[in-house]
Order: sequence, then C-alpha cells, then structure tokens
Amino acid sequence: MIPDRVVEVLHGPAFIQIGSRDEALRPAHTWAVGAMVHDDRQTVTVFVPTARSDRVLRDLQENGRIALGMALVSHESYQLKGTYVSSRPAVDAERARQEAYRAALLASALEAGYPEAIARPLTMGLAYTPAVAITFRAEQVFLQTPGPDAGTLLS
Amino acid sequence: MGILPDEIKPAMQGVIPSHVVTCSRDGTPNASAISQVYYVDPDHVALSHQFFNKTKRNIEENPRAVVWVISPETFEAWDLELEFVRSDTSGPIFDVMEMQIEAIASMVGMKGIFKLRAADIFRVASVRKAVGERIPLAEIPGPR
Repeated sequence: MIPDRVVEVLHGPAFIQIGSRDEALRPAHTWAVGAMVHDDRQTVTVFVPTARSDRVLRDLQENGRIALGMALVSHESYQLKGTYVSSRPAVDAERARQEAYRAALLASALEAGYPEAIARPLTMGLAYTPAVAITFRAEQVFLQTPGPDAGTLLS
Repeated sequence: MGILPDEIKPAMQGVIPSHVVTCSRDGTPNASAISQVYYVDPDHVALSHQFFNKTKRNIEENPRAVVWVISPETFEAWDLELEFVRSDTSGPIFDVMEMQIEAIASMVGMKGIFKLRAADIFRVASVRKAVGERIPLAEIPGPR
C-alpha cells in the first residue's frame, strides 16, 4: 500500500520520472505530467507524453518492470517500483488534470524561489499532450530525499 | 571530434537537475535525480556520486545508464546512453565537481547534505537531442 504522504506527493505537483529497461538490461527514461493513485492505494496511472513514450512502452510490454521517481521542488523525493498493467490514450478529463498539474508545478517552483525565466519554461514547456495513460501496480515504495536515509524501503 | 555537441554544455552546469535511470542485474530499473552531469570531454561525462545509493550499486552490477539533461538557456533536452568507465575520488575532475556540488548545495539549501564522494566517469555511447518533447519557448504563455 502506498503511504499517505507518497500519495499526496504523487498527486502533485511533483516532477515525475519513469525508468524502464529492455531485454538486454539497457535502461530507458521518460517523464510524466500528472499521476493518479487508484482507490486500492496500489495501482497508479501516470500520463506520459506520446512524443516520449515509444521506448518505455515497448519495454513495459516486453518485461513489465517499471520505476517511478517523484520529487517536489523542496527535494522531498520517493520512488515506486512495480509491474506494468496496461496503457491507453489519455482522455479529455485526464488532459484537464494534467493542465492543473503543470500549473501547480509552476506555482510551486515560483514559490520556492526559482526565477520566472527558468520556472515557467521548465514546467509549462513540457509537451504534455497527447499523452498515454500508463497504469502499473506499485510493489515497493522507497524514500529518495537526498540524505543518509535515501533508499529506505517505506512499504 | 567527439560525440557530444558543444551546445549541450549549458545543460551540464547543474542549474536544472538531471535524471538518471540504471538497471540492476536482476532487471529492476531505478529512476533518480542527479545534481550534476559534468562535461569531461567530447566523449565522456561524470556523474556526481553523493550517496551510497541504488544508482551506484546498479552501476557496479550493470555498467549502463541513461541520463536526461536540459539546458537552462534554451530548454532543449538531450538523452545520453552511458557506459561506466571508472570512479575518481581525487584529481582534477573530482576537484572541480566538488566545488560545483558545494555551489549547487548552497543554491538549493542542501549545504551539508550534498557531498561529493566520487566523480563517476562514463563513456557516452550515444546522444540524442529531444525533438517534439518540448513546447517551443515562443508558444509558452507568459505571466498573467
């Protein structure tokens, strides 16, 4: 079960990174704009821009192994590791969720003191749509905030 | 002439955190932010090793990594495929990275937490400039 605080962080606004790997154990990276934890507190759907989804989707369909890193502007960070369930094109309601997510991401970066000239293009420049909704089952949750406790298994 | 273009250098100054994905021997990927991807020469970069973390352990088991870097000037991004070469705990690359990590730590309020343990040197196997993954700067709505 994903702890309350990690659900909050995942619901954002957080910078979300996804890792996968192919059969030769070559890693791949993409990012997501927006995420949703399902009622079972174990299933997660993330929204990955279609423009950056091909390699990761291929990996996930082949072997199912996924890592999701999330970080707040404050550096509070967590990582989920799990197994791919499904993917489909994101729908309009999810696009609205993504738009709210990126606006919140911008507000958090400005509040943390990032200059407008960096915060705005960094957060609002993500080509977030069209997107693929990738669903996976989280099996492990790790603390990843920089410091001596980084890597601690939370759940 | 090496594999890294000159235009990538601003993305390697640590202004915006980079991201790294590695994979353990048993096939579990790991996704993490990293303070700095340091430009060593046109064919090599160094990743800051600050904590004894999963990224480090994975690299010992499987020398491959991918990093995503973004320029704070143009907001263009690149994906690099890397292969681990060696870990420096002293020397000129370590010294410069140590200074830069201290500067980054001061900037982001992590002084005393960010501490360079090693400069991990990687060969750049491939570099790809991201296309179609960013909204052009001119099309991003300005402040209201």
